[in-house]
Amino acid sequence: MLAISVMNGLVIGVIYALAALGVSLVVGIMNVINFAHGELYILAGYFSFLFASTLGMPFAPAMGLAVALVFLFGLLIERLLIRPTYGNDMYSLILTFILSIVLQNAFLLIFGPYPNKPPLWVRGASEIFGLFSYGNQRLAALVSGAALIALVFLVLQKTWFGRIIRATSQDRAMAEWNGVNTTRLNMLSFGLGCALAAAAGVILSPVFPVTPTAGVPIALTAFVVVVLGGMGSMWGCVVGGLLLGLVENLGAAFISSGYKNVFGFLILILVLLVRPSGLFGRAKL
Amino acid sequence: MSACLEVERVDVFRGETRILWDISLRLEAGERVAILGSNGAGKSTLIAAITGALPFASGDIRFFGRSLRGRKAHEVSGMGIALVPEGRRVYRDMTVFENLEMGAYPKPARGRLRATLEEVFALFPKLAERRDQRAGTLSGGEQQMLAIGRALMGRPRLLLVDELSLGLAPLITRTIYQSLAGLDRELTILLVEQSIEQALHFSQRAYVLENGRIARSGPAAELLEDPAIRRAYLGL
Repeated sequence: MLAISVMNGLVIGVIYALAALGVSLVVGIMNVINFAHGELYILAGYFSFLFASTLGMPFAPAMGLAVALVFLFGLLIERLLIRPTYGNDMYSLILTFILSIVLQNAFLLIFGPYPNKPPLWVRGASEIFGLFSYGNQRLAALVSGAALIALVFLVLQKTWFGRIIRATSQDRAMAEWNGVNTTRLNMLSFGLGCALAAAAGVILSPVFPVTPTAGVPIALTAFVVVVLGGMGSMWGCVVGGLLLGLVENLGAAFISSGYKNVFGFLILILVLLVRPSGLFGRAKL
Repeated sequence: MSACLEVERVDVFRGETRILWDISLRLEAGERVAILGSNGAGKSTLIAAITGALPFASGDIRFFGRSLRGRKAHEVSGMGIALVPEGRRVYRDMTVFENLEMGAYPKPARGRLRATLEEVFALFPKLAERRDQRAGTLSGGEQQMLAIGRALMGRPRLLLVDELSLGLAPLITRTIYQSLAGLDRELTILLVEQSIEQALHFSQRAYVLENGRIARSGPAAELLEDPAIRRAYLGL
């Protein structure tokens, strides 16, 4: 039971980390909190359901297409809703909150209240170290989620795009003086933030089916992870996501599953009591 | 000689407040010029207007004949104007090397990154030693070298240096001025300084900014000898 809880915690933790990386990217560059983050996660889940189950595409291109569409949708949201609000963070907060409600109801209208599930990529289960048996789909989710996180870090560390993202989140005006077109960067990073939510959605939806409101807890948890890990810290997202996933699942297994969400907030409060800027946050916040 | 930078009858506002009144100045290519003035005289606003960080209301600013009106900071940087900002503003969480790379972000400079890097390391060998260190861990003087190095990485034709000496020990300031003096003579340098003595020794000409207006201008050596200036800025 312990081993299985740890594995479940890692699977969901990787997904939390991915979703939180998306939030953190957007907060770091634009100082905008996207309240519709969870709905974009769900949207990608519906897309991959639509493409794979309804239209019969193989799962990999279906997922890729779903993420790409959400990325484009993210660019559109930035251009139409966020860009006009620069200079007033409150407006974008309210607008994305409205967007999340609109999307939830659109999902309800189109897909109905029932859980929808894209097909599994793999079937069956594997023996882990000969100790216990674990579903292959969850293993695949864990591996692909971890690979995607590694890819994000690689891009941030090794490419021009990653460098200008890090520079801009540290000192926006200086980055402009160094030639960074921050208006374009805003749009791109908002789209990428949405794409990361979408990636989390397509990876997890075969395990946890999507419903119109299933994105709410995911987005809330992503925000908790960002604060827990420290605003603007990418490592904080990974450590915070895994920590939260593990604590939730271990708490649910050994204390009570009814309090699953409480454990997360308990950890958040404890960490903030000791380190108000989060695990990896810088003191200035 | 051709003009590198021409500022012509420029007014600048911050919000409703008028900061600069009818500013005109002209830098020939290869010249080293200082803009002097006390705190609040409008020096940083002038820098912001030249670099595109702040729009100017009237008049025009031209860089080698091309108007900078309406251009954003990232476009101005791509045209060959690099800034060493007040307070240095190095990217603290990035390494020295990554900071320098960021300086070479403008397209024309990017392809020559390796060659420019060698030049910057030759100018400031300290930066080569600290290459993989986080910029936030450098001393003030080293951060200033890094900020200058970062600006030079863009292979600019005009280098703007805002408050070079701020918060630095006099000895370190002198060393950095010596390095600047050794730069390619084709590079035009505009210094903006509050502490004027070293700035005047470095420059050929200077403008004095007072309450948002150009109050005086002339050859640096002349201003340095001027009793009124010595009284106002050097406390002599």
